[in-house]
Amino acid sequence: MTGLLDVKGVSRCFGGLKAVNDVSFRVEKGEIFGLIGPNGAGKTTLFNLISGLTPVSGGILSYDGVPLNSLPPHKVARLGIGRTFQNIRLFKGLSALENVKIARHSRTRAGLWGSVFGFPASHREEQEVKQRAGEILALVGLDNRADELASSFSYGDQRRLEIARALALEPRLLLLDEPAAGMNSAEKHGLTQFIREIRDRFNLTILLIEHHVPLVMGLCDRIAVLNFGELIALGPPAEVQKDPSVIEAYLGGD
Amino acid sequence: MAEFLNNYGFLIVTVVQQALLGMSLYYPLSAGQLSLASPGFYALGGYIAAIIGTAELFAPWRDLLGKAVFPLEWIIAGVASALLSLVIGLPALRLRGIYLALATIAFVQIVRVISLNLSITGGAIGIFGIPQLFESRWGYIWIFGPLLAATLLFTWRLEQGRIGRAFRAIREDELAAEAMGINPTRYKAQAFIIGGTLAGVVGAMSAPFLNTWNARQGTFDASIAYLAYVLIGGTRSLWGALLGAALLATLPEILRPLNDSRLIINGMVLVIVSIYLPQGIVGALARLRGAGKKKGVPAGGKT
Ligand SMILES: Nc1ncnc2c1ncn2[C@@H]1O[C@H](COP(=O)(O)OP(=O)(O)OP(=O)(O)O)[C@@H](O)[C@H]1O
Ligand SMILES: [Mg+2]
Repeated sequence: MTGLLDVKGVSRCFGGLKAVNDVSFRVEKGEIFGLIGPNGAGKTTLFNLISGLTPVSGGILSYDGVPLNSLPPHKVARLGIGRTFQNIRLFKGLSALENVKIARHSRTRAGLWGSVFGFPASHREEQEVKQRAGEILALVGLDNRADELASSFSYGDQRRLEIARALALEPRLLLLDEPAAGMNSAEKHGLTQFIREIRDRFNLTILLIEHHVPLVMGLCDRIAVLNFGELIALGPPAEVQKDPSVIEAYLGGD
Repeated sequence: MAEFLNNYGFLIVTVVQQALLGMSLYYPLSAGQLSLASPGFYALGGYIAAIIGTAELFAPWRDLLGKAVFPLEWIIAGVASALLSLVIGLPALRLRGIYLALATIAFVQIVRVISLNLSITGGAIGIFGIPQLFESRWGYIWIFGPLLAATLLFTWRLEQGRIGRAFRAIREDELAAEAMGINPTRYKAQAFIIGGTLAGVVGAMSAPFLNTWNARQGTFDASIAYLAYVLIGGTRSLWGALLGAALLATLPEILRPLNDSRLIINGMVLVIVSIYLPQGIVGALARLRGAGKKKGVPAGGKT
């Protein structure tokens, strides 16, 4: 295996708070990599650093050999890093289909005049966007509700729609921030299957934040544990589970 | 018919012209940006047309081109407004929400103060006796009408495609749009430039229509009027500006027999619509139509 995402000594401070403190790890191609840790450990912040929404305070992030540090979020996305949000950030006032179509933006090229005059290339592209978006919605089982507003979906369906939107970007690295939050146990089980399925189907590498321990243990190839911004353990699920510092962090003993 | 046009021709052309100005504000709004800059570009376009139409300097152009000088004025006004939109838009669009609105109001004021103080713009008096393109006021429908039709068609096509989707994504959630590979700066600037260019061209067409051009053409009041068209008509549909302009520009005329109380009624309509129809008239109509079908009505027509 070769590395896809390289995190080297990465830090991020908010005022005096070190939300992410000198964290290093490498995510290999094709891996499902779990990121866990107590509330406020810095997991979401690390996602924001990778996707360019928050600038790093120090360290180096690189993706497939390309440094990410000074790239704006839209360029990071273009490189093939898709993500979902812990607090679900769908385009709520738009239909499910539109949500997915929008993510085709960086994989399409039509400009202002191409769109307006419907040049053949733009027209063909538009047909493709529609078809692809439909296929991806079908993949998450929402194709029969394509025209409904995103805001009208249940919590679990919104999470699935958000994954669909991220997939439409054609990412190679997919960042999922607590994808199972708010799902019932049947939905959680389905999600585990689904994540494996899309990994295989699209040759994805997946970086996943999740609180639900059985899901993480069952799904991930390797796990990194953050606590107060620091990486306290890294390895296969079985090893990490036994790590005394992880047990301490989770039980909150001091 | 002739009498009807005599009485209402000016009003109809005014509605179309105001609808176009409402549209110029709709583009940035459709990308989530509250810009009130349109009167500044409208004033600029008008001055360009008025100066080319009257100044001694341009007499050779007028002699050479005859009526073809008018389309040339529109083009020059459009290009100048597009360039100025780019120059103003890039820094201003870093600001968000009400701060962008304030910056664009400041821009309108700056254009006004400059035009009041330059001799080429006629100072406080302005420019008058601008040569006419048509014999009657009504004649101007033959330029404003096609421009409105073209603008609606342009907008409709725009909103169905990739660029329109990028605008909507930014309006809905700029950060999520960015994470989906959309460069917000680029598309906010595009929306702003489209609006500014349109306002400039409308200004250039309006200078002959109104016969005189002065600093009263580009004011804060105008900013608010254009915004009202879009808010009343509906911010999420390309028809909003037209409906809003039709209502707000004709209402004072319809209520004319009531004299002073018409202003009160005019104001009341504004308040009532904004309270009871938060999505504007178009939004309310869409809801009525879709009430049975529980379907999403995405801005900008079909998905
Ligand atoms: N923009 C910000 N400004 C200031 N502090 C922030 C900001 N974002 C995060 N923090 C702080 O950084 C720390 C890490 O937050 P983060 O959201 O990354 O935690 P997390 O591991 O995702 O937690 P959770 O499991 O609750 O989602 C927290 O103390 C949080 O308050
Ligand atoms: Mg989090």
